[in-house]
Amino acid sequence: MNTQYFRFSVLACALGLASISSTYAATDIEKLQAEVDELKQKVEQAAEWKKPKTLIHLAGFADVGYTDADNSPSTFNLGTFAPIFHYQFSDLVMLEGELEFEINATGATSVSIDYLTVDIFVNDYMAFVGGKFLSPLGQFRQNLHPSWINKVASAPAGFGHDQAAPNAEVGIMLRGGFPLGGNSANYAIYVGNGPFLEWDAADGEVHAIETPGIGTDVDGKKVVGGRFGYYIPDTTFEFGLSYASGKASLKDGSTYEEGRDYDVTGVDFTYRPGNFDIRGEFIKQEYGTLATSTYDTAGGIWEAWYVQAAYKFLPSKWEAVVRYGEYDTPHASQDVEQWVAGVNYLFASNVIGKVNYEFNDNPNAGQTANDRVLLQLAYGF
Amino acid sequence: MLIKKTTLTALLSSVMFTAGMSSVVAEQETVGDFTRGAKAWSQNCIRCHNVRDPKELRDDQWITTTFHMRIRAGLTGQEVRDIIAFLQQSN
Repeated sequence: MNTQYFRFSVLACALGLASISSTYAATDIEKLQAEVDELKQKVEQAAEWKKPKTLIHLAGFADVGYTDADNSPSTFNLGTFAPIFHYQFSDLVMLEGELEFEINATGATSVSIDYLTVDIFVNDYMAFVGGKFLSPLGQFRQNLHPSWINKVASAPAGFGHDQAAPNAEVGIMLRGGFPLGGNSANYAIYVGNGPFLEWDAADGEVHAIETPGIGTDVDGKKVVGGRFGYYIPDTTFEFGLSYASGKASLKDGSTYEEGRDYDVTGVDFTYRPGNFDIRGEFIKQEYGTLATSTYDTAGGIWEAWYVQAAYKFLPSKWEAVVRYGEYDTPHASQDVEQWVAGVNYLFASNVIGKVNYEFNDNPNAGQTANDRVLLQLAYGF
Repeated sequence: MLIKKTTLTALLSSVMFTAGMSSVVAEQETVGDFTRGAKAWSQNCIRCHNVRDPKELRDDQWITTTFHMRIRAGLTGQEVRDIIAFLQQSN
């Protein structure tokens, strides 16, 4: 009896264990399957990031700084915050927009559109660009002005806003690159609204050639221009030639005069041997005479040039830079002869700390010292 | 009138240039090449700025960034595809 009872008990236990084991295995497999399915879904979702037809990207740059000048109080300054929006559809269209936020002396914030374009990639060698774009004349304004790229905390004399170098245009442009003679050529051709001549009633003179990229061409006079660049990759040498021509009208408040001749000529180069970065640029804007003008019948020339050399002390993160430039205008008070010497520290390739000493002389106006110490921390993102 | 003629001439020239270029690209490649991309990346970025590490951005961000640079630096479409291939495969 006991033996029979023992056998029955063992059999019952075995059946029970088998049943439990079977149930556990089934649950485990289902759970595992669910985890695999979930992982598969996550992988598919992650893959969607890699090649969707529409891409959105926020880039840009910002900088903060400190200035101690001879003829004004020292000050901390929030230089620029310039987010750049990229919206791209496939390899066909890209919308690019850069906003520029700045804080002025009273603490107010100003916002402007630095550029906003719709780019259509026509083929491998050409893109159509429409909207407000940085002037393609020369190199500094279109490619070197972002503070994380510019190796000096200031723009070269004459290359700031509304000085000798055209800043922006509203119009259309074709640009691209193509192989030429075993090297690379690049080009930009545009038609735009052009500039206006800002009349200063107090001084009775044309104060500046304003090139902010005007949204309405009141005088209807267009400017046609462009730049051709030739790059020799093996020697890292590039040179560019720029030219533009059209009409520009003197503006006094809301009054516009008849258009007069307007021309821009420029030449630039870049050379990157070893740890050196050497570049230079010349740009000239001029407007012609207008015999019928009731303001100023004479023409005017605004021109500027600079050369800059930088050297990286690799493998350290230190860099030295020196720049010389001149800015010449019809008004002696605006002219500048400028030296800058500086030391930079590259926290990363896109994060740069700068310490500069800027010597500004204006012998045309009898000034021999308006020097500045400039500190800047710039981040390109 | 002179300006209108100038503008018209410029636009016409542009269209003709576009047409001419289109015939050149009839047999263009559609994929990027890692080796050519590495060379184009090292030779072109330094024209204006410090070279950026491929690991700084995600793969999709490199696409928009490189197309942006196509406009800025006058790169060809093939150079862009090559550079994207290099950056994404090095990421």
